[in-house]
Amino acid sequence: MFQKMIDDSMKRSPWIFHINAGSCNGCDIELVSVLTPRYDAERFGFRLTGSPRQADIVVVSGPITLQSRDRMIRTLAQVPEPFCVVSLGSCPRSGNVFKGSYAIDGPLEKWTHVDVSVGGCTPKPEAIIAALAKASAILEEKRKAMRQADKADKEKRS
Amino acid sequence: MLPYVGRALSNLFRKPATERFPKTDAPEPAKNYRGRLSYDPTKCINCGQCIRVCAPQAMTRTIEDVDSETQKITFTFDMTSCTYCGLCADFCSQHTITMSNDYMIVGTKPEDFMVTGSFLKKKPVAPKFTPEQIAAMKAAAAKKKAEADAAKAAKAGE
Ligand code: SF4
Ligand code: SF4
Repeated sequence: MFQKMIDDSMKRSPWIFHINAGSCNGCDIELVSVLTPRYDAERFGFRLTGSPRQADIVVVSGPITLQSRDRMIRTLAQVPEPFCVVSLGSCPRSGNVFKGSYAIDGPLEKWTHVDVSVGGCTPKPEAIIAALAKASAILEEKRKAMRQADKADKEKRS
Repeated sequence: MLPYVGRALSNLFRKPATERFPKTDAPEPAKNYRGRLSYDPTKCINCGQCIRVCAPQAMTRTIEDVDSETQKITFTFDMTSCTYCGLCADFCSQHTITMSNDYMIVGTKPEDFMVTGSFLKKKPVAPKFTPEQIAAMKAAAAKKKAEADAAKAAKAGE
């Protein structure tokens, strides 16, 4: 019973953690503007958290530079399952104008699963909100699947 | 004191500054906004100028032979690779590429971000010469080369 209550409340508060993997700061500013009063994603429960251990949705921006790659992987490893990865802007998916550079090691798919992507350089806040909504729907599915797997596992053992 | 009270009272009845976005349709972007590309294959002449000017190499062109005289040319624009600079639209002499104002570039699969178009084009006709003409051209070229060599030798001998 408590589990259901917790799940229901988590549905309404998907917390975001933002990783800047060498982004030019354009996407980062747009992501912050999503949380400002004008677009106010906090009314849907999206909240920027300071620690990857509390995150449900990880937003990655930037073309994965060599300097940020290991830190990004280390941060992603700390996010509790299940979580969604949103790639923000054109950079994480393809490298954008830095494609083929010696200093980047992308795309993001190489290092983690990417659930939702937003194109644009930079994406408009409305598009980011749409992507976050999509990510939270996917997150819900994932959580459901995980609970079912847990249940099946428990029944098998008992 | 009084102006503040007036402002406070008027704010009570003003509509909120927050955009209503997910409840309403996505608002129109600013004039001349550069969003998702649109490509009209009926106008394209396959000059390749767009491929030359694109910094992130967002487009791929595949040319297949349909039969001995026609080719099928397919352009694919990857919207997660594009940096939305608009150069391809500016350089396209046929106005094939235009930047639409659709900024909802959100998806979960790579196919969601592809803009494709293909068209058929007649192959250029191979030049036809008689064997005598070819022999004459070869002789002319050989003569020119010999003259140049002689001039060079004379210059070196000075
Ligand atoms: S510049 Fe325009 S006409 Fe030329 S290949 Fe590109 S789309 Fe086609
Ligand atoms: S807008 Fe710029 S980056 Fe995008 S396809 Fe055209 S030239 Fe390439």
